Amino acid sequence: MDINGPLKNLRVLEIGDFISVAYAGKLLADLGAEVIKIEKPVTGDSLRNHGPFPKDIPHIEKSGLHLFLNTNKKSVTLDLATKGGQDLLIAAAADVDLVISNLALGDTTNDSLNYESLSKENDMLVMSSITIFGYDTPYRDWAGTALTATAASGASMKIGSPDKVPLWLPYCAADFQGGIHGAIAALLALRKKRQLKQGLHAWISVVEVMASYLGGSGVPGFVFQGVLGSRDGTHRSGFYPWQVTPASDGFVEVITMVDEQWKRFINLMDNPDWANDPRLSDRWLSFEWHKELDAFWHPWMKGKTRSELFKLFSENRIPFQPVNKVDEIVESEHLALRKFWHEIEHPVVGNYKIPGAPYLFSQTPWAVYRPAPQLGEHNDEFFETRLGLNTSERTDLIKQGIT
Amino acid sequence: MATTTDGPLSGIRVIDHGHVWAGPLLGMSFKDMGAEVIKIQSPTGGSGVSMAGKGMAGTATRDAVDVSDPMAYHAFDRGKKSLSLDLQSEDGKEIYKKLVAVSDVVVENFSARVMPSLGLGFDVLTRVNPKIILASLSATGATDGPWRDLVTYGPSLAALYGIKSVLGYHDSDHPQEDQADLDPTAAGHAFFAILAALESRDATGRGQHIDIAQGEACIQRIAEPLMDYFLNGRVAGPQGNRYPATAPHGHYKTSGLDEWISISVRNQDEWEAFRDLALQNSKNITNSKFKTLQSRLDNQNELDQTIESWTKNYTAMQLTKILQKSKIPAYPVMGALDLVNDENLNSLHRTHITVTDDNFSPDSLYRGVIWKLEKGQGEITGPTPSTGAHNGEILLDLLGYEEGEVLEFQRNGII
Repeated sequence: MDINGPLKNLRVLEIGDFISVAYAGKLLADLGAEVIKIEKPVTGDSLRNHGPFPKDIPHIEKSGLHLFLNTNKKSVTLDLATKGGQDLLIAAAADVDLVISNLALGDTTNDSLNYESLSKENDMLVMSSITIFGYDTPYRDWAGTALTATAASGASMKIGSPDKVPLWLPYCAADFQGGIHGAIAALLALRKKRQLKQGLHAWISVVEVMASYLGGSGVPGFVFQGVLGSRDGTHRSGFYPWQVTPASDGFVEVITMVDEQWKRFINLMDNPDWANDPRLSDRWLSFEWHKELDAFWHPWMKGKTRSELFKLFSENRIPFQPVNKVDEIVESEHLALRKFWHEIEHPVVGNYKIPGAPYLFSQTPWAVYRPAPQLGEHNDEFFETRLGLNTSERTDLIKQGIT
Repeated sequence: MATTTDGPLSGIRVIDHGHVWAGPLLGMSFKDMGAEVIKIQSPTGGSGVSMAGKGMAGTATRDAVDVSDPMAYHAFDRGKKSLSLDLQSEDGKEIYKKLVAVSDVVVENFSARVMPSLGLGFDVLTRVNPKIILASLSATGATDGPWRDLVTYGPSLAALYGIKSVLGYHDSDHPQEDQADLDPTAAGHAFFAILAALESRDATGRGQHIDIAQGEACIQRIAEPLMDYFLNGRVAGPQGNRYPATAPHGHYKTSGLDEWISISVRNQDEWEAFRDLALQNSKNITNSKFKTLQSRLDNQNELDQTIESWTKNYTAMQLTKILQKSKIPAYPVMGALDLVNDENLNSLHRTHITVTDDNFSPDSLYRGVIWKLEKGQGEITGPTPSTGAHNGEILLDLLGYEEGEVLEFQRNGII
């Protein structure tokens, strides 16, 4: 299959571990870039050991996260904790446009793989680093994960019940955000490189990315309105209604800021008297009485299924939608018509599906050209063709555990 | 010629139809990184729902703007130019096409039917300018299907696409509300996609249409439970702070009121370092139930209680510093006030909670630019424009209309 993505001329090395950098690499590779993923010999990226595995039996080629995040990439094993491995990486960087990395800062092994050393033999090199706290900031060397980054950004303090523990955004959502913005920083820096005719380093902080997503409930809400912000559990304060409401067979998200939509909702319930309750006269102030107000209309919702409600709301142009479960979204007719789920055939795993294109390009489409690579699948190509090593040199590397 | 300090997008002109959050944020991303961004607004006021104001400061664009209002400066139209234009009128469409002819990118987050129904679909724009890239961010995509043109907000879209079903406490199936970050996530994906399309346009001279369904862009973050469903048929529910193959992983009570520390232990080495630190206050931490990852996962309630009996003796920041000294991922669970005073975020001042502008609000903090480039990095360049503030500049200088024609447009309510 000919590669026709918009990034087909881009050559990339991916170094680091787990979700954030792998997602940045996937975004680039699915648009046609050649992405060589550098992995630890023997065990590979920790994505391979994380799962979910078919029947829960661990296998380094069968982890679901790996199968999703490493589509279209090439896999090369190289131990970057060794001097020999680092030298080979620097040699490989002479021949690519971009290095993406989420190596932990403050670790001496990783710090020797900074932009300065990687660009030694390639002054047009661009590097994009995904860091937790930032690159030249006081806590740059602090350790972090998606959990601690979400907490550090202010997002977690706003999720959950006020009398219970605050919650993170599950399944490492922050790492996915880091991946998106690391990939953006890479493309921005590639443009800048062409203006300057000289390579450069770019970076993002996952904590800052997450903090920037907070909008009015975070820093600006505090600065401009003195709103400290609490956790409101299944509700959000600010205006009313904004909540997850029980239906007979699950839950529905109920939110509207537009009065016309709220009136159409009231109409659906045959304009009950309580709709004129003065506590609803300004819905920006109503949250204070949400318990009493909820009691007026929750029984009506609870008497109907999610699909009955969804039909009514859609027909009446009311923006309330059902909380679908994972199986329900996978089976949805709309996403089938969008051809969203992508079927993959993998030599070890067999056939399975993955979530598909985040965007549809009319000319240069997103595509899966090959499934996630097996560990070290592209070692021959890398060491022999790219780096020009002969058989005995390669044997030495294997003996030393460098590959 | 661009210089070292120019943003990487200098020389790119963007037409911005953004309203509410995702669209305006996308336009702002271009502006912050050096592009010229022209926001199209209706001469009668408004390009859609304005969310700024009560309770939503900074999350949205303002259509009728009082530029002395710091919220307006903070909102997502900072530094843009404003052109007021009636796109329903023939003259308005003509002006618009002239603008498309000299632009690089059009971004819009209307429902999928709006641009084609105005006679301004991609087929029309590409005839005017084959190099144009049109990015359409609708909720559910431009394909015919039961959800096309659905009226929705970020939080309800997150529910529809399954994202909300896994957000909540592990002992209840009732999902919790969150930050409603579907809009900025979709804007990020769109920014990346357009930058990629610019790469291919620079190589081929050809623009294209990018159809972005916001729900599809955001669903990727629950790839893990989706893959579990595809591989095993399992349907995940809310997980609390737990995460597969990782323990301890959670938020623990510290000494202050509603004060918590976030701790995530990634491997056995980190566990052993953690255990040795916790041993001071909590003998139970050496219990054989916590010895291996599997045994910690099997006894997570007891593990969490044991850890909390240690963490409650410290403030969140004290304990963070102790754990970080041993390279164990930890950080206080930050509230809004903590964020304003956060040493690390403040050190990103060129960017995150960045500049103070004497002309606007001397003591205010503004959200910064998140992409750092060692050369030519982004910056906040100006306030939110009032509606039509740049009509003259755009119509006379850029599009070459005569002054008389512009006055005529004004009289007829075209601009």
